[in-house]
Amino acid sequence: MAFSPDIIVGLISFLFTIVVFSYLIGDNPLFRIAIYIFTGVSAGYIAAVAWWQVLLPRLVIPLVTAPMQEKLLLVAPMVGAVLILMKLAPRLAGLARPVMAFLVGVGAAVTIAGALGGTLIPQLLGTINAFDVNAAAARGVNLFEVMVNGGVILAGTILTLIYFHFGASARPDGSVRRFGFIEILAWLGRIFIGITLGAMFAGVYAAALTALIERISSLVNFIGKLI
Amino acid sequence: MRVVTVVIAIAAGILILAGYYFSPLKDVQTLLLNWALIFVGAAALVGVFNLLFVHADKIRRREKGSVYSAFLIVFMVATLLFGIILGPEHATMKLMLDAIILPVEASLMGILTVTLLYAAIRLLRRRVDVMSILFLLTTILIVLGSATLPFGDMPLIGTTLRPWITQVLALGGARGILIGVALGTLTTGLRVLFGADRPYGGN
Amino acid sequence: MADIIKCPVCGEGNAADQEFCQYCQSRLQPLTGPLKGADAPLHPGQIPTKKVTAELEPILPQWLRDARNKARQSAEVDTSQAMQQQERIIPPNASEPDLLAGLRSQSRGDDDEDTPDWLANITGVSPKQKKIDSGSSEARRVELGDRSDFAGNTGALKESIPAWQGNTQEASSDTEKDELKDWFRESSGLEGKKDDVPASDSAGWSDQPVSEPGSFSNDQFVPAVSSSDSDSPDWLKRMTPEEDPGNVPSWLSSDMQQEAKGESPSSFADPASGTFEAAPSSADDVPNWLQGIDPKATSAEGVSSDDWLKEHQPKPVEPNLNRHTTPLWLKGNDNSAANPAEAETPIWLSADVPSPPAPPPSRDPFALDDVVPAFGDIPNWLKAAAPQSSIFADSPAEEAPAAPAEASGWLSTFKSNEPPPTPFSVDKAQENLPPTFTSDAFKDGGENALFTEMPDWLSSASPSAPVSSTPALSDSITPGELPSWVQAMRPVDTTSSARPASFSSDQTFESRGALSGLQGVLPAVPGYGPSSKPKIYSIKLQASQEQQSHAALLEQILAAEAEPVPITSFSPLRTSRTLRWLISFAVLVLIIGVTSLQTRIFSMPVAVPNEFNGALQVAQNVPESAPVLVAVDYHPARVGEMEAAAAPMFDQMMVLRHPRLTFISTNETGAILAEHFLAGPLAERGYQYGNQYLNLGYLPGGVMGIRAFTQNPVITMPFDITLNSAWASAPLQGVTSLSQFAALIVITDNVDTARAWIEQTMSTRQATPFPLVVVSSAQAAPMIQPYYDSGQVTGIVNGLYGGAIFEQNNAGRPGTARSYWDAYSLGLLLAMSLMLGGGLWSLALGLRDRAAAKAGR
Repeated sequence: MAFSPDIIVGLISFLFTIVVFSYLIGDNPLFRIAIYIFTGVSAGYIAAVAWWQVLLPRLVIPLVTAPMQEKLLLVAPMVGAVLILMKLAPRLAGLARPVMAFLVGVGAAVTIAGALGGTLIPQLLGTINAFDVNAAAARGVNLFEVMVNGGVILAGTILTLIYFHFGASARPDGSVRRFGFIEILAWLGRIFIGITLGAMFAGVYAAALTALIERISSLVNFIGKLI
Repeated sequence: MRVVTVVIAIAAGILILAGYYFSPLKDVQTLLLNWALIFVGAAALVGVFNLLFVHADKIRRREKGSVYSAFLIVFMVATLLFGIILGPEHATMKLMLDAIILPVEASLMGILTVTLLYAAIRLLRRRVDVMSILFLLTTILIVLGSATLPFGDMPLIGTTLRPWITQVLALGGARGILIGVALGTLTTGLRVLFGADRPYGGN
Repeated sequence: MADIIKCPVCGEGNAADQEFCQYCQSRLQPLTGPLKGADAPLHPGQIPTKKVTAELEPILPQWLRDARNKARQSAEVDTSQAMQQQERIIPPNASEPDLLAGLRSQSRGDDDEDTPDWLANITGVSPKQKKIDSGSSEARRVELGDRSDFAGNTGALKESIPAWQGNTQEASSDTEKDELKDWFRESSGLEGKKDDVPASDSAGWSDQPVSEPGSFSNDQFVPAVSSSDSDSPDWLKRMTPEEDPGNVPSWLSSDMQQEAKGESPSSFADPASGTFEAAPSSADDVPNWLQGIDPKATSAEGVSSDDWLKEHQPKPVEPNLNRHTTPLWLKGNDNSAANPAEAETPIWLSADVPSPPAPPPSRDPFALDDVVPAFGDIPNWLKAAAPQSSIFADSPAEEAPAAPAEASGWLSTFKSNEPPPTPFSVDKAQENLPPTFTSDAFKDGGENALFTEMPDWLSSASPSAPVSSTPALSDSITPGELPSWVQAMRPVDTTSSARPASFSSDQTFESRGALSGLQGVLPAVPGYGPSSKPKIYSIKLQASQEQQSHAALLEQILAAEAEPVPITSFSPLRTSRTLRWLISFAVLVLIIGVTSLQTRIFSMPVAVPNEFNGALQVAQNVPESAPVLVAVDYHPARVGEMEAAAAPMFDQMMVLRHPRLTFISTNETGAILAEHFLAGPLAERGYQYGNQYLNLGYLPGGVMGIRAFTQNPVITMPFDITLNSAWASAPLQGVTSLSQFAALIVITDNVDTARAWIEQTMSTRQATPFPLVVVSSAQAAPMIQPYYDSGQVTGIVNGLYGGAIFEQNNAGRPGTARSYWDAYSLGLLLAMSLMLGGGLWSLALGLRDRAAAKAGR
């Protein structure tokens, strides 16, 4: 039987799958070796991608081929990239601080704008629009259903937000507790959070089950090919 | 030096934010964002080489488990050399993905099935309260509603209950969580732009 | 064996019930009991219990207790002696400097009974050898002086020497006594005079109560008062008249004579006041013990106005150091007058050229008849502490004439009639002065010897010297038990076996420099190297096995104190391997069986979610050959689920609309996964790279990259994965901005990635609406649902369930979801049953445990 690359890849994939599944029995050296090999290969691949698809096309090639005006604009990122590489040396790690500060500032600004315009306002509007009777009618949804669903969604949203309100004051008996009404609402909010987390847990299990099915399916197919 | 870093962070943030709302500053925003992408690429290299140095140091000190570190370093260097020379889209790199990365990650995800089941079974043994019971009950209902029977969907649970749970009950909680996350992100970002938080070491 | 306890100090066996070792008297039984009750350790914030000091007496070491007892007793003796000598002894002039003030203060402190450890240990005597002193306690003194001062009639002096000096006397060997004998014989010329001197007087210079009266023979310097504890130091007591009657130093004998005459010996302090007495002197720096010097005994120069110093004008110098070291106050006025050579100027006082050596004293320096009221000489120990200017003069010959002028008034009286020999004069010292560290170095009794030679009580404390038994001495310096640094300064005794090994055999006299006159010292010649390799001393702690075991025990005790008390908490739930194996077995068997059998039993889902319709609409309504941007942002772990979920939609879209696909990824492995996706379930569509689809590769930076791409995709991603210009290729023809894409499909397994794409493209999609479809994993779907509900997302394909529904709308293509569905359904049913049954079982067990815990409380 000729060992085609597919066979070799399949064999290696089969071996690694079996070794990782052996963790169900217990931790063992083979499993650790497989994990360390995986980590090494992933890290090496990431470094290759970072060079080929980030630094080379954005920094190296423009520095070589771009006009002088564009080259001047690349001096700062070139210096910044070199400074970031200084983080490999503990003594010189401080030189990268300005670059890290730049990254943090840019990232903070982007996330602020995204959170504000991409989540906060649209979600508030969505909660309000859940009671839009006209839109619901256009969709052919029952008014009662709209109101009930809208109410539940609104209640769930508010109660969940109240649950995460942890402002409390000291009581005469010395204990620190939230306001009584807030405590009740927070307890109700816990119900919605529990339901949401339960739904997410079910989704995680489903995804893991699908991955397991895919792996076992590939094993079965490989064995079938061999046979 | 500390003042310089803080000034850099705040100035960069303000310019980026201004680019959202002022058209003349969009080009500046684009320029700064592209600089940031280059820095991120360099940071990825730093992370990888740091991993290399950590494990090399582990081998040099002959710590427990240094044999595994040797495997890591060998395969990392080999993959890096292949990737640098051939490129990440080369067939060899695809073979590496198909033979090592994909099976190991998928297998790890697969054994998560057993772990999640085990945790769900023993949940009520450790903690018995309203939230635990509701959590488990919701999971059971959604799992049951997602499955089908030989003759069709799960009656009532699959057709009515499960959609209502995911599209109404869970949606309310998820929306509350998303709004909370957005508020937290907003607050954190503003603290950085105001200089109150300096995660880059400007203290 | 169990009945015998090994002493930790001496190693001897003792009975188990003994509290103290019968050999060395060290404690065997620990005083501190278990750490509880009264012995409980203190906690932070706790006020310590006040203890009476007397209660702690038993826990003190034996040697310390003995010293304390001695001190108490000596205090009583001192008090009685002070009363007796109150009238006879002239109180010292407070304004006069008292070189022995330190010693005086020490003797004054009756409470200072504890012998310093350093002093007790310098003798090198093991604790076993220390004897309980029934007499008074003596404070230790470190005497700097000529060894010959206390040499000789040690037997006569033995009785009068205080107990603390008794040990030092013990260490003196016969050979040392021979040296002292010679020194005394030659220098003092006090032989034959056996006037009794009160013991207190004889010991006055050291200001120590003498425990043994009558330390001198009648012919020599013998303290007269034998009934009471004299103040004479032990070294004095050691000087027995039969050994060397002629070796009583003049300074001592003069005192004795003075005492005999009813005058307070000028060389001794007033026991009552505890200070040294000296002849009244106008100089402020005359020590009290020098104050008693007879003004008649003056030098020929007589430059000093201080009487006592005048009395001690150097006598004709004899060519021997003993001569020079005989203190004037010992020699007395008569001797100083009769033997001007005996009147010595202390070396540290005189910087004159060395005078011709004085004739050897005709009697023992310590002879009683030599003791004159006036001090005839400065004790050797004092000479050793002489000012540096006189000792360390480089050219003694030059400085000698100047010294008299420089010397202070009271010091000038020490100058001899003749030009006193400087201790380090080259010419004459080498001729006259014997080797510094020879056994007979002090025979001549020169002044030099006063400062360079060891007093007897110090020299006898050599570690190599045999320890002679001396009664009633516990922790004071025994004769011969000298500190190591003192021993190092000792003159080398050629006839004594106690010569320190560190002294080389080099007997070369130093002729120049500050060390002139000394012998066997390192010459001050540059470039000279040590003649022998210095001795290597180990820096390791030499601890015996018992000591180490005791130290370990102590460490354990201390560690037990610091150990935290474990807090009782609920016991953690142990991992049940059996349950895990059972679950693994059930799941694996089920899935392997179903997958292997490739069953198609379970029906595909029918219920279509609301969010699915939007995705279906997009897939079916995208313009023909329109550019569609696809973000492949999932990890290799979820390749199976994501490809199974996205493949039906893409298959339908590719079949129906032939879109130009452009792949991009914010994940490092996204680019290669896109290739894997197209080469896998979509391989049948035959899309060609560069024609129908393009791969832009990795977009770094997360939200920053998405924002940058949204703002200006051409600048942000100028090249594809093959490093060719992307925006000039066919798939991206006519596309220069994000809004020009017909649709945006995000394939992700992560809520954050989906949220980033939704948030960052919001502004662009608001300006120019285009559909956004999210193909998500089942785990991310609940959190993406609100975005669909708010209208930010057009449609959602939810995991394998959504892929299965889409497959039904795609004529069953590509079929991945179908092949997985039976195993998927069975897995879900198995999970449901296990969770339900196991959860109820765990609930019952948990309630039972809670009830048991409540009952236990």
